[in-house]
Amino acid sequence: MKPYIEFARKTFINKMVYKFDYVVGIFNTCLQIFIFWCIYKALYGTSSKIDGISFSMVTTNFILCLGLSSTFQINDLFVQEKVNDGSIANEFLRPVNFKGRILAENIGSIIFGLIFNFIPALFVAIIFVGIQSPVSSLALLLFSASAILGFFILWQISFIVQMTSFWVINVWSISTIKNVFVNVLSGSMLPLWFMPRAVMGFIKFTPFASIYFIPIRIYLGDMQGNDILINFLRQMLWIAILYIIGEVMWRRGQKKLIVQGG
Amino acid sequence: MKNDTFSMFLYYTKSTIKSWFQYKIDAILRSFAVFLREATGIIVIYLTLLKFNNINGWNIDEMLFLFSLLFITYGILIIFFTGLRDFSRIIQNGDFDRIILRPRGLLFQIISINSDWFAAIGHGFLGITLFIVSANNVGIVWNLKTIIYYIFSVIGGVLIQGAIFLFFASLSFYLIKTDNLREMFYWNMRKFAGYPISIYHKFIQWILIFIVPFAFVNYFPAQFLLRKPDMAAYPTIFMYVAPFLGIALYLISYGFWRYSVRYYKSTGN
Repeated sequence: MKPYIEFARKTFINKMVYKFDYVVGIFNTCLQIFIFWCIYKALYGTSSKIDGISFSMVTTNFILCLGLSSTFQINDLFVQEKVNDGSIANEFLRPVNFKGRILAENIGSIIFGLIFNFIPALFVAIIFVGIQSPVSSLALLLFSASAILGFFILWQISFIVQMTSFWVINVWSISTIKNVFVNVLSGSMLPLWFMPRAVMGFIKFTPFASIYFIPIRIYLGDMQGNDILINFLRQMLWIAILYIIGEVMWRRGQKKLIVQGG
Repeated sequence: MKNDTFSMFLYYTKSTIKSWFQYKIDAILRSFAVFLREATGIIVIYLTLLKFNNINGWNIDEMLFLFSLLFITYGILIIFFTGLRDFSRIIQNGDFDRIILRPRGLLFQIISINSDWFAAIGHGFLGITLFIVSANNVGIVWNLKTIIYYIFSVIGGVLIQGAIFLFFASLSFYLIKTDNLREMFYWNMRKFAGYPISIYHKFIQWILIFIVPFAFVNYFPAQFLLRKPDMAAYPTIFMYVAPFLGIALYLISYGFWRYSVRYYKSTGN
């Protein structure tokens, strides 16, 4: 376990160096929240509730969703860089699990994001646009647990994208296309309450709604009792399915790998 | 200006396209990815307006028309101004020294040496698609007057954004890293510009009109053609200024560039 903690710590410290970057990061998150707040203010006009969803629920959805998504930044090009310059061969020689190492580094950068991006952005958002408080302290706890599961879903998706490095030259395109799907279908740009029914029917069969929307519904008390349990199970099921896909690709990829040169 | 300017521009363009399209499948996939990424905002507004019908009186077709101006102008812009977009990199890795030594105009070389064709195709195609989809449904009477206005406002829109790029490129002579500043002022303001500016707080409107004048790239030109009621909050003159503002701003930026280029110090030693 020790080397992995060390990997996480190193990434955390590395991130500290770029001070201007995290100021910009906070600024961008707040701006994004503010834009959506303006848009929904115009859309709501004088009505207090639309489809039983109040304006403050929408605002809370955007603050938490955008806050979490700016925290859950995963470098999709990490494996590709290693494959392209051949340094992945060295990774195989190390006495640590390569997959575990990637996860450890990403967790390091996420803890950084949580402290230096999510929390400051949350404060700014609370002061300027206001956020609903969680329905209960239990809801807040369950929200945190569910958000962590959401992160693992997102991480597994990213890992699958990274595994395509063994077959395609440029992972950037695949990563970009994936991000479009995540952004649109996870509810970070359009709250899933307002998604047309046909699209919702499609989303049901994808892991995207399990990333941010389940935790946020728990936070808002939009989901209770057994529903919470079922949705926790749904998140875990997705983690398992995506894990298996990622693992198969990782095994195949290792066999397929040809490092050029030398 | 030498008389081989045009043929040289074509030659540069040919070699950029060749290098971009070396890997064909990758090139196609990359164009598609850019196209999809840029379409995200439009997909979202489309889905949103299925639910809400209109935003401050703008319906879906009018919104698409507003968006189309943003994408068409960027598609044209990036054919010519990629070099300025990436200019701080040109300074950082010392390529600018090489450019100075060549017997042609500096700005001409920077403009023609590189074009981001993926962005040009992705944005341009998207912009034209949106225009075709929306132009007939928004009630614009296309006659000589409106067509001329439209063409001039597209050129104006390209030049406004070109002027912003040129301004930040000139700043690179004083500050080595300007990417973050431009990110803040250009890309973030562009996010606002996709929507009618009347939905925003007065302060944001003020920035979009007077500081980073994106309002003149799409909002005011669209207002000239659509005449939505929320135009009442702004002076009518803004609609008529829009096509010409680009030329003025570009000339100012060009002056700043000419002035700043003298301060160039190489990053190498």
